[in-house]
Amino acid sequence: MSVTELKERHIAATETVNNLRERLKQRRLSLLDTDISGYAKSQGRTPVTFGPTDILCCRTLQGHTGKVYSLDWTSEKNRIVSASQDGRLIVWNALTSQKTHAIKLPCAWVMTCAFSPTGQSVACGGLDSVCSIFNLNSPTDRDGNLNVSRMLSGHKGYVSSCQYVPGEDTHLITGSGDQTCVLWDITTGLRTSVFGGEFQSGHTADVLSISINGTNSKMFVSGSCDSTARLWDTRVASRAVRTFHGHEGDVNSVKFFPDGNRFGTGSDDGTCRLFDIRTGHQLQVYYQPRRDTEMAHVVTSIAFSISGRLLFAGYTNGDCYVWDTLLAKVVLNLGSLQNSHEGRISCLGLSADGSALCTGSWDTNLKIWAFGGIRKVI
Amino acid sequence: MATPIRDPSSNVMSLPLPSPKAPLGYPDLYGKRREMARIQMLEREISFLEEELKSSEGFQPASKCCQEIADFMMANSDPLLPTSKKNRRSCRLWKWLCRMRCLNLSWVCCWCCDCFSTSCCNCKQSKCKCSSCVPSINCSLSNWCCCCDKKSHCCKETCDCNNKCCCSLPGCYFKWPFPSCCICKCSCSCTCPSFPKVLPSGCCTKC
Repeated sequence: MSVTELKERHIAATETVNNLRERLKQRRLSLLDTDISGYAKSQGRTPVTFGPTDILCCRTLQGHTGKVYSLDWTSEKNRIVSASQDGRLIVWNALTSQKTHAIKLPCAWVMTCAFSPTGQSVACGGLDSVCSIFNLNSPTDRDGNLNVSRMLSGHKGYVSSCQYVPGEDTHLITGSGDQTCVLWDITTGLRTSVFGGEFQSGHTADVLSISINGTNSKMFVSGSCDSTARLWDTRVASRAVRTFHGHEGDVNSVKFFPDGNRFGTGSDDGTCRLFDIRTGHQLQVYYQPRRDTEMAHVVTSIAFSISGRLLFAGYTNGDCYVWDTLLAKVVLNLGSLQNSHEGRISCLGLSADGSALCTGSWDTNLKIWAFGGIRKVI
Repeated sequence: MATPIRDPSSNVMSLPLPSPKAPLGYPDLYGKRREMARIQMLEREISFLEEELKSSEGFQPASKCCQEIADFMMANSDPLLPTSKKNRRSCRLWKWLCRMRCLNLSWVCCWCCDCFSTSCCNCKQSKCKCSSCVPSINCSLSNWCCCCDKKSHCCKETCDCNNKCCCSLPGCYFKWPFPSCCICKCSCSCTCPSFPKVLPSGCCTKC
């Protein structure tokens, strides 16, 4: 077959792909009979209301000398690991605010960090394109530094995000600027699977965020600069299970909804969205309240409360909106409370028992927020 | 090799001016293979899309997904929500029924168990159990559990002299990081010194 004939075949195949995508889009639109807020209003639901002291800043964790880029809670016991522009990881006791570890990194340009499920190790990655593992129980060297216990090399671009597979200290997933996600075996330091890449149905731009399904750890979602989120099955690396379109800018943050059948996203387009993984439906768009002439601020990070009723979203202007997920209304802005951050919220995360939220900021601090009121049992 | 040309004016043989050669007739394999790889990717994408289109026939409408989400939120308590009162409207009837000891409804009553700390109160079994929570108190309401942390975190106020804290139930004072489900009242008892006509200040303070 000549190159000319091949090019004709290429054009025909492209047209078929576009037609099929359009048909799929129309099929989905026909099933979108409502969004979550429309459904909730039809059921007579009213928004969550917070009193002035219901959510308070209970702790400020000070110690970083640069912007905080990433944080993660342990699965049990209230410890947090944070990564900063100052080139260090700090492990905090969230109850006492004390630092239990301050790890000077071999590469200062860190972008992400994660706690292992047992809390014995931390992982981090950044512009060195490597994911480094530190064992917190290892002895320090003469200078008091903790040495890297394993380096996961293989990415051809920066490591933007990492998360341990729930319940497994030996496996983690990374997202990278090389447009791929990788499942690693930490014991061997080798890649078990590569998701996406040149000849696979993957992202077409940098991967910025990943989230592993807490109820089915074989599934994870990734968010990318190609404005899409993709759902992956770790057993099938050859293609994404589903691609979720809708955002009009980089998808900076993805997080699974606590029931494991939905996930949220936060984007450069200023919106958060909720998608259903089984059907691909876009169930809700959360638009920032703003004046017509005002630009929307970028969403940097999101998290759901343990029931999913609250969606926390951090923005580049220092706001941290608490959304009523059901009614799609902003019910609180942590950025307007006393003792709030003085800079961009870059990361946030909920404690394992859902009782506290930690936010990290470019003002170099981390803050812990929790419910401070009294609840009466009927 | 180029054929020499005789210059008519000088009768001298000279070689023609150099000119580029015509491209060799090799097939453009690299371009072909690249194009074939692109076509293969597109054909794979076509089969994925056809599969997805077929499976979309079984997709439920968005309203069903929304119902599932709302039901999930109602079924799970949330330490960060300001009140559980409104979330438990449907529990009121069951709570009344649960109090009737003659009816063995423990499996249903447990569903209404108000657990603010899921690690503490286990509502998934037939009876509400306060496990891994010391001390724990069984609330006065049948089949309801209330888990208290140490008493030092239970009482918010401190009492003068020989203070003695007692917890009044039901009620939950939830303050991170030591959630407590006791609303405490202090009752004091003290003994005044027996100096005549002189009462030291702060003695026998009543709560």
